[in-house]
Amino acid sequence: MSDAKTMKLVITRFDPDVDAVPRTQEYEIPVQPDWKVLDAVNFIKDEVDGTLSHRWSCRMAVCGSCGMMVNGEPKLTCKVALSDYGDELLIEPLANFPVVRDLVVEMEGFMDKFKSVKPWIITAKEMAAEEGTNRQSPAELEVFKQFSMCINCMLCYSACPVVANEPEFLGPAAIALGHRYNMDSRDEGQAERNEIFRGEGTVFSCSYANECSEVCPKNVDPAAAVNQAKLNAVIDWATGLVIPRKGP
Amino acid sequence: MKDLLLRLEPVIWVLFGAGILVGTMLITGWILIVGLAVPTGLVSADALAFGRAYGLASHFVGRLVLLGLIALPMWKGAHHMRHLSIDHGGAERDAVVAPILYGIATIGSIAAIVAVARL
Repeated sequence: MSDAKTMKLVITRFDPDVDAVPRTQEYEIPVQPDWKVLDAVNFIKDEVDGTLSHRWSCRMAVCGSCGMMVNGEPKLTCKVALSDYGDELLIEPLANFPVVRDLVVEMEGFMDKFKSVKPWIITAKEMAAEEGTNRQSPAELEVFKQFSMCINCMLCYSACPVVANEPEFLGPAAIALGHRYNMDSRDEGQAERNEIFRGEGTVFSCSYANECSEVCPKNVDPAAAVNQAKLNAVIDWATGLVIPRKGP
Repeated sequence: MKDLLLRLEPVIWVLFGAGILVGTMLITGWILIVGLAVPTGLVSADALAFGRAYGLASHFVGRLVLLGLIALPMWKGAHHMRHLSIDHGGAERDAVVAPILYGIATIGSIAAIVAVARL
């Protein structure tokens, strides 16, 4: 405890039953040099103010629950060291999401976007059990593996300037996820997903600010997925000129 | 108009992407040659003598390159400005702004085709 110093955390508070708009509350707490930002927020919750609400679970950058704005930047708070910051820290709920309470944001719209890209393997005909397993080579896996490392932490939506402007925009993680299944050698659902990607507020709404990839704590590079999806949409469009496709 | 724009997005994006390539690579090279290499004497000014330049530009491949150099950056600019407009709260006015910008790029491209064809 000899290394302990104190730090001021300015945290956004919002109780929908009491507050008309979010307010801030300051907490002066003792911190340890090896703490992550989440440890400081947990300390406040456990030792100082039990009314503070925030999400967290695994503490090892796997569950994707503890995303917050730290000094204005979307961060996975269990992954960033407190010592990277000065004596004062501003902690807010993730930007571009409706706030439920304090640091907890509404995830429903985000989950709806996820579901809309059909993030599962679509096959024309299900394989019979006797036919064995669906085989995939390491090279085939490598094509999409990076995009499957997403932990749904929503940091990319918080950083995306297009989401900020157009909340209906399908967004980086959902497009990366759809693209991940499109690139899966076992999948046959490209036509269905490409139809979604041709819709309004999808791949071509991305202005390639690259902020999503900058903030991704798992190095998924959603911006690359979005641009690969754009290229696929172009190939799809050009193919459609030669071989007319069914539907729109 | 929205539906038409949506359907044209892939081709617009290809022209935009090609415009970026041309804008950042070929035009940079062009500026290096004309703006630096020739004035500093690294490349002889005779290399850009009218007869040579005209011969290069009026060749079939030369005309195509010239067309790309003139037309594609216009699509890059139009697409950038459209997104700039959207990013500054212009999602509502996009149905008006986008046709104007792409219209200018289309007219510019047609003018470029006519110009290189008449060389």
